[in-house]
Amino acid sequence: MHTSEHREQFIVPIGPQHPALKEPGHFEFTVDGETVTAASARLGYAHRGIEKACEQRTWVQNLYLFERVCGICSHIHATCYAAAVEKLAGVEAPPRAQAIREVVAELERIHSHLLWLGVAAHEAGFDTLFMYTWRDRETVMDLLEVITGNRVNYSANILGGVKNDITPEQSAEVLKGLDFLEKRIQHYLHVVQNDEFFLQRTRGIGVTTKEMAERLGIVGPTARASGVARDVRVDSPYIAYPQFPVNMMVEESGDLEARTVIRIKELTESCRVIRQILENMPEGEIETKMPRRIKEGEVLMRVEAPRGELWYFVKSNGGEKPERVHVRTPTIPNMASVVALAVGHQLADIPMILAGIDPCFSCQDRAVIVNYAKGGHDHWTWEDLRRYGIEYYRKQRRV
Amino acid sequence: MRIATMIGDISRSLFRKPVTRQYPFEKSATPKALRGRVEWDAAKCTGCNLCVRDCPAMALDLHILDRKNKQFVMRYHLDRCVFCAQCEESCRFDAIHLSDKKWELAALTQDPFDIFYGEENNVRTVVEKVLKGNAGQDAGKDSGAKAQAK
Repeated sequence: MHTSEHREQFIVPIGPQHPALKEPGHFEFTVDGETVTAASARLGYAHRGIEKACEQRTWVQNLYLFERVCGICSHIHATCYAAAVEKLAGVEAPPRAQAIREVVAELERIHSHLLWLGVAAHEAGFDTLFMYTWRDRETVMDLLEVITGNRVNYSANILGGVKNDITPEQSAEVLKGLDFLEKRIQHYLHVVQNDEFFLQRTRGIGVTTKEMAERLGIVGPTARASGVARDVRVDSPYIAYPQFPVNMMVEESGDLEARTVIRIKELTESCRVIRQILENMPEGEIETKMPRRIKEGEVLMRVEAPRGELWYFVKSNGGEKPERVHVRTPTIPNMASVVALAVGHQLADIPMILAGIDPCFSCQDRAVIVNYAKGGHDHWTWEDLRRYGIEYYRKQRRV
Repeated sequence: MRIATMIGDISRSLFRKPVTRQYPFEKSATPKALRGRVEWDAAKCTGCNLCVRDCPAMALDLHILDRKNKQFVMRYHLDRCVFCAQCEESCRFDAIHLSDKKWELAALTQDPFDIFYGEENNVRTVVEKVLKGNAGQDAGKDSGAKAQAK
């Protein structure tokens, strides 16, 4: 037997590989019984060197590289990059192209939020809801395929416009799909607000106050669920949002239920705006000519990704390749809320709290600066990163 | 409050046939916008190389044998292609497009992923050149790169 004057600390390490989510991240939760008393997060396991890689590619090639920052919100990354480069070059994409960009962006939001709803339901142990939402997500993915030609990585954008026009037949198909989705969305809104088992996992759990959301700089639906009226589509409209505005959804309670409800309400709003655009599509061209060399300068562009505010910093030295591009994805500010919220909650609630911000681990990993213990730091070039990758896998396979 | 709001959904699904498509026997209709394999038309090409320069995956190599007489060979690395259709956008002469029919691209060997478009004689010349260039590096792997002349 062992007695101690002080209560001993027990730390539960989770990850980098863990069963809760499909992406790597390391968390340490100090627990007292079942209650979490301290939490820490370590990120950076899925760093891919994308920002460095982009410096070796042309403006056009980078469009496809940035589309691959995130597999779920690929279009919004490409849109943000394309809009930033267009701003830098002093070129404006035609209104029809901007409207098509908005249609794809909102369809992507539906796809992303439905995916999240499924993940959240799965984490809550409500697998029936998970399977139904993911089945309905197929509908929106098929609609995206009809418009753009692919179910993921749509590549709808080019610099200076979009690739494909939306024909009346495609438009009719999208509207038909939306009819089905709207019915399902109403059903899900009813389920998440009334299913008692689901509510036990969401109501009053992970309450983020408005003050806390402001202090931590939380963005996107996570912030709007806490009463922070912050939506780039409304605050600083881009692409076609000035012509086809969306209404900002705000919930006050800040718990996981509010985060679920707000995302489902945003789905309804997305359906409404897509319908509005398709019925009042501006006429005209879908692309303008872009110069191959972008004039010197720097620009900051921000957009509302499904998970929150996404921004791109793009700097040009007048050449065919960008000098520097920096990407900040919405998961990084939201991650702070997970560590802050975990304290005081049951360990079993942690996966739900983590899933509640809709995290995307590999999107957020960025740094390429190596700090030495003796002082000083060094940058890794694309060649260094490539060589490191090849050596690493050679060692792993022992060849 | 209803205890089980999904009972209706469940009972409907119970008596329905599986929605899974029996793929090899029953194929889904593809939308017109679908981006499949790259197709290249030698007659329209001018050898400007814009598609090659813009390709984000370095999937295209254009071998110019005689620009005046339009003797080109396009080597298309299907395994590198990300099917973004930027080449189609970049081409000002409508010489390149992505097929909406050819999307069943799986194969058991590497050979079908190395595609040469062009006249048969030209392709042969280019293949010999490519094999010579690769000799010593991965000759064994590439020796099977039989030309798939169009």
